[in-house]
Amino acid sequence: MADSEAMRVGILGGGRWGQALGRLVQAAGHQPFIAYEGKAPPHVLPSTDKPAEVTAACDLVLTAVSAAALREAIGKARPHPGNRVVVAGRGIEPRTGVSLTDVVLQESDCVRVGALGGPAPVEEILNGGLCAGVVASPYDEVCRLTVSALHSTRYRVYASPDLVGLELVGAAVPVLACLLGLTRSLRGAGVGVHAVVLSRGLAELGRLARAAGAQESTLFGLAGVGDLEAVHARPGAPYFDAGRSLADGKVVDGPWGLAEALLATGEAHGVELPLVQSLVEVVGGGDPVDAIQRLMSRRSAKEHR
Amino acid sequence: MAELRTPLFEPQPTERWVRDLVRRSQRRLEALPEPALVDLLEDALYNERKRLERDEAERGEQEALDRLSRAVVRGGHRERIDAGLTLVARWGEEIHGTFNPQVYKFATRVLPRALTGLLSERPRSLSGLRHWDLSIGRRLIAKGEVEFLRELTGEATLVLAPTHVSNMDSPLLGMALYQAELPPFVYGAGLNLFENPILGWWLRRLGAYTVDRKKKSNLYKDTLKDYSILCIRGGLHSLFFPGGTRCRSGELETHLKKGLLGTAVQAWQENLDTQRRGRKPAPGASSMAGKSARGPEVYVVPCTLSYQLVLEAPTLINDHLAEAGGKRYIIDDDEFTKPRVVANFMSRVLDLDAGIVCHFGAPMDCLGNPISRDRAERVEQALRRRRYVCDADGEVEWDEQRDHRYTDRLAGALVEAYHRDTTVLTTHLVARVAWRMLGEQRQTHDMFRLVRVDAAGRHLDRSAFLRRLEEATRRVREGAERGLWHHDLPGNAADILQVALDRFGRFHKTKALADHGEDLIVEDPRLCLYYQNRLSTIPLEV
Repeated sequence: MADSEAMRVGILGGGRWGQALGRLVQAAGHQPFIAYEGKAPPHVLPSTDKPAEVTAACDLVLTAVSAAALREAIGKARPHPGNRVVVAGRGIEPRTGVSLTDVVLQESDCVRVGALGGPAPVEEILNGGLCAGVVASPYDEVCRLTVSALHSTRYRVYASPDLVGLELVGAAVPVLACLLGLTRSLRGAGVGVHAVVLSRGLAELGRLARAAGAQESTLFGLAGVGDLEAVHARPGAPYFDAGRSLADGKVVDGPWGLAEALLATGEAHGVELPLVQSLVEVVGGGDPVDAIQRLMSRRSAKEHR
Repeated sequence: MAELRTPLFEPQPTERWVRDLVRRSQRRLEALPEPALVDLLEDALYNERKRLERDEAERGEQEALDRLSRAVVRGGHRERIDAGLTLVARWGEEIHGTFNPQVYKFATRVLPRALTGLLSERPRSLSGLRHWDLSIGRRLIAKGEVEFLRELTGEATLVLAPTHVSNMDSPLLGMALYQAELPPFVYGAGLNLFENPILGWWLRRLGAYTVDRKKKSNLYKDTLKDYSILCIRGGLHSLFFPGGTRCRSGELETHLKKGLLGTAVQAWQENLDTQRRGRKPAPGASSMAGKSARGPEVYVVPCTLSYQLVLEAPTLINDHLAEAGGKRYIIDDDEFTKPRVVANFMSRVLDLDAGIVCHFGAPMDCLGNPISRDRAERVEQALRRRRYVCDADGEVEWDEQRDHRYTDRLAGALVEAYHRDTTVLTTHLVARVAWRMLGEQRQTHDMFRLVRVDAAGRHLDRSAFLRRLEEATRRVREGAERGLWHHDLPGNAADILQVALDRFGRFHKTKALADHGEDLIVEDPRLCLYYQNRLSTIPLEV
């Protein structure tokens, strides 16, 4: 496939994120082909309700479904060995803790996979706003094709070989945003606690990234700190608000499955994640103030290990 | 023994092989930009000169290097390529093996029995002589997917990828292949093995080609890879050890070298390209094996070798402990270089039932995916598989970086298979339990401290040992039932201990574990470490 020619780019998922990706594909001069369930996307975006048609027609396929729905979507679309599948979702399957690209590998005989990360302000993108993302894959051609499919004056795409890091960061950002929401809303906790949670949260996730064979720098890039600060760590953002509700003793929808998956990953690699552990305890009925007190009473350590 | 189901390959003149090798190299060198060409040739020059500081130059070798040196410094593009190709041609002659079907037939039909007879302990009475079992089958167990592999030899080219334990591996694998009624495989054997004129003569005529691990230049490695590609493309079933050299520690391989393994992916793609274009087989293919009736598919077969005793164990584990792998990467003064020691070892090991187990694993494609047993499904798989490297029109999309990742996948699948197919033998398990108990007694699992424990600290209580061994045996059998590994353990813990003590006393000057009155003693902790290491990378708690 010549990268510069107009190509058909498959998108699994016809929701707002799938439509946003479709617009970005069009902006880059290519033709999206969206597989949807239920309501069809606007007619300007070519679509079908038969996902297998998309994988048959397009070499490059982007997935725009939730992490929990990915397994089923791949099962229906049945990617083939010629497909390059790029997961545009939140890193880890909540129920199993399996990375989303591994879900694709498990459910199909496609092997050339990648992930798209970074901020995804869907409404802004749909309204023509400017944005950027990162595609990561061990296969150069997957990165190259994805950059070709999405890169335009509206959306910059950076490439990285660090797939493990990008998926880990994709799962970590919502958890960290939730922790920040929680601590910002606790009575008596001010900007000092916010700074501690932000910096130490990044430090513990950095240790996890290193242990998992990822590059720590991915955490501090567009898909990590960029996504966290610009999109998630502010009032009104769903994960941040889920944390605020926790501070009030209410458990609403939040990245709880992702937090547990991160803990399991940490355990598998022998990395302690005290902040994530505290969040899981609070969701399980623990007192957030006690959790903060326990964290604050931990022994001092070197800032950079 | 039944007739082989696929014909033996016919020998072809060395000149044709060398010509094909040079052609491939020429294409590659001509495609390089000038700075990259100079880099490659300078690397060859540097490494060859370094090698010749230690080794004596062969006839014409120095002249070839001088010519290359002049071409790199003052020559033009054409001269540089020609000088590089002169080296390639020299290496090609050295690498090429000359398979001889007559020798192979003799070696495989007569030699196993003769060798078994010569090398196993002779009966001491006339009645014993009558019942003297000369078949190798009792001693060397070839098992696993043998039937399936026989079926596949006619339709695809196989690449056998065994674990590497000992220098005995290559000849024993040859016997195992014959015993399993599989055709001969070409294989790379270290140049040092050819230095013994008798062994070298046999190896060459049994399908071995030479690999000189002292030659470190990229140009030489590329030439070796080209040779392997030509073999596979020619439809010659090939064998190489993806772990590289013998594993020093005694562990199962967990990291494989990708160079030769990657030639399977490359050869498969070249086969597909040839088929699509309706061309004759690629240069070399026809000249080596005649027209192969097989399709373009290349399947990789993991093969796990398990030895009760390993001839070179003391040298290998010492090398591992000394962390001298860099300096003594190529051991050329180990037990294998002493014919009397080899014969002595063989007579003792071949006298054992199941002394060596060779497990042929489930075949996989060049990306590590399993191959279906159903013929029709295999045809579908082959069509579908092409999309990994071809576009929708069936045109091969060449991509070196992608192929490296595919080879990584294949290596991962092989490592998994090695662990799944390993056979737990008595010496491994008993050494494992002894090593664990020694560590617990000394309150450390640091191998460097444990190998230095003095004799007084190496006693193990026999009854505690047997209890521990009983539990370990239960776990091994349980794991084998769950498909995690295989085992060949007799009866109960007492039987297993007795067999292992007998094995440990068979050959090595000192024993990994020995009787010591009421107790047991780890007589040689290094050997105990070596044999227990065989189980150190499988999920078995003892």
